Amino acid sequence: MGAMKNDTSETGADAMNETNETCEQDQSHQPMDVLEPYEWRHPTVVAGVRWKNPVGTASGTFQLDACGDYYDVAQMGAISTKGVSPVPWQGNPGPRTAESPAGMVNSVGLQNPGVDHYLIDELPRLKDLGATVVTNVAGHSDDDYEQVVAKLADSPADMLEINVSCPNVTHGGMSVGTDPVALGRLITHLRAMTGKPMIVKLSPNVTDIVEIAHAAVDAGADALSLINTLVGMRFDIRTGKPILANRTGGVSGPAIFPIALSFVWRVRQAIPDVPIIGIGGIDSGEKALEYLYAGANAVEVGAAALTDPTSPMRVARELDDLLDARPELATKLAEGQTW
Amino acid sequence: MPTNTFIPTFTTGSVELRAAQAGRKPGRRTDEVVAASRLGDGIYELVVHDPYVARTVRPAQFVNLYSANATMVLPRPFGVAKVEGDDVTLIYQVVGAGTEEFSHFRAGDAVDVLGPLGKPFDLAKRANYILVGGGLGVPPLLLAAQALHGRADGSKVTSVFGYRDERFADDLVRPYADEVHSITNERGNVVDLLDSIEGEVSGAPLPPVILSCGPTPMMRAVAAWACQRGIPAQLSLEARMGCGYGACVACVVDTPQGRLKVCKDGPVFTTEQLGWGA
Repeated sequence: MGAMKNDTSETGADAMNETNETCEQDQSHQPMDVLEPYEWRHPTVVAGVRWKNPVGTASGTFQLDACGDYYDVAQMGAISTKGVSPVPWQGNPGPRTAESPAGMVNSVGLQNPGVDHYLIDELPRLKDLGATVVTNVAGHSDDDYEQVVAKLADSPADMLEINVSCPNVTHGGMSVGTDPVALGRLITHLRAMTGKPMIVKLSPNVTDIVEIAHAAVDAGADALSLINTLVGMRFDIRTGKPILANRTGGVSGPAIFPIALSFVWRVRQAIPDVPIIGIGGIDSGEKALEYLYAGANAVEVGAAALTDPTSPMRVARELDDLLDARPELATKLAEGQTW
Repeated sequence: MPTNTFIPTFTTGSVELRAAQAGRKPGRRTDEVVAASRLGDGIYELVVHDPYVARTVRPAQFVNLYSANATMVLPRPFGVAKVEGDDVTLIYQVVGAGTEEFSHFRAGDAVDVLGPLGKPFDLAKRANYILVGGGLGVPPLLLAAQALHGRADGSKVTSVFGYRDERFADDLVRPYADEVHSITNERGNVVDLLDSIEGEVSGAPLPPVILSCGPTPMMRAVAAWACQRGIPAQLSLEARMGCGYGACVACVVDTPQGRLKVCKDGPVFTTEQLGWGA
């Protein structure tokens, strides 16, 4: 590690019209000690599973061996693991990440050691630590997804999250999640294989997310999580070539927050009853709260965890404080309902 | 300066104590800039007050610095060059908007920090440690020299630094090195220097160990040089990183064992791990 490589040549705009950022939270930059003992006051319920609080980690941004060094994973509402495939996946070649304005583009491509390793390593360790575990399921084909779900059906995982929305794999992933017929067929098969609460993670890279959401729910999904990353890319202006070896990747971070929020709101308007986990650009309790007002039962923190390992815990604590002043919303969440 | 959207997890005064009490590593926190100066053309030195890093960092480990500009979310990782008391010295080159922002720091400013991160050099053996650095790969080797200096086991430090033009680190390594060699681009590269000292290195009773940091092509050449002579080499890689602490799996290097994370499995790898020797 010598000269740093993360710097790119653009400068970003600094000024913003203030929205919510200054309203209620203590803005004195008093440090929050996320390690002190804490009693959560506002749980939520997602597809029958009680979360200690409405904040989880987003898949792809959590590794127990990295994040578990910084906070007690049992204190999160839920831990959504990195995508688990039937066999070990090497993922995409590097470079796999590039900064973008208020965000980043990644093309990791679901590198993971496979479901057999997951079942004897990360999953039992997470459960021993007391975490509520959402196991993210990845595949290149219907058969891949079925192999993973078959092995997870009797596992101690609390929920399954079917990843039909990764933009960084050539088969499966987003290609399933953008076709309502293919998605309905896959979820119908998986539904028949397990009684575990099953979340389907949706892609924003579609013409009509409501149509996809209906297909998932009609096929038996217990809940929806949205959104996965938006397709994006960066070029290196010295070489004239894309920065990412995979050329395109998925955009995450604060830049996608209002976009993701509108997706959640649209799906909630169309499907009043399905549990929804809102994901995209959350780096504060206020932003998490906006998702709850848009109709989410819970949220997940992704890219913000990459800029501060403790941010998922900090967001959860900030949201717990904000919900104190919103008893009606807090009561609904605790009863498995939404705003 | 725009305010940061992140509320720091700790201030460094209490960080070490709290992390130790909870059995955890401290998260991102706000440090005070103790000193900032220009070392050469586009090269800057930054000293931050961080007792936790100062007391725990080992050579080749790095720290993440974060821009105060909320549009630049990814960390800027820098190898630690020196530790003095509770103060940590970083040396970096301005290569983009983030490092440009850092170059304007003055004493008393605040900067967000995470670390120390990554796997350090293995300095367990009694050896003649040959520190082979290129450009801004040199600073992390300064901390290795500092750590090895005056060790009771009689280990030696030989620096072999290659610079673009200004020899900005020779004076910085001299207090800790038994021998200082350097070369600038117009005269040659570090492999030329290694060739020139091969006789004294190979003939000596103290076995040589190479520690290297610099541009990847340089380190590949150093790995090949070391391998041909049966000299063990540890290489500290650089990569485009996402998080820097092992969560995102973005900064991988292809090895015979598969794709490994530069930030957490490394940045230090042996020639054997990388398969670079052959």
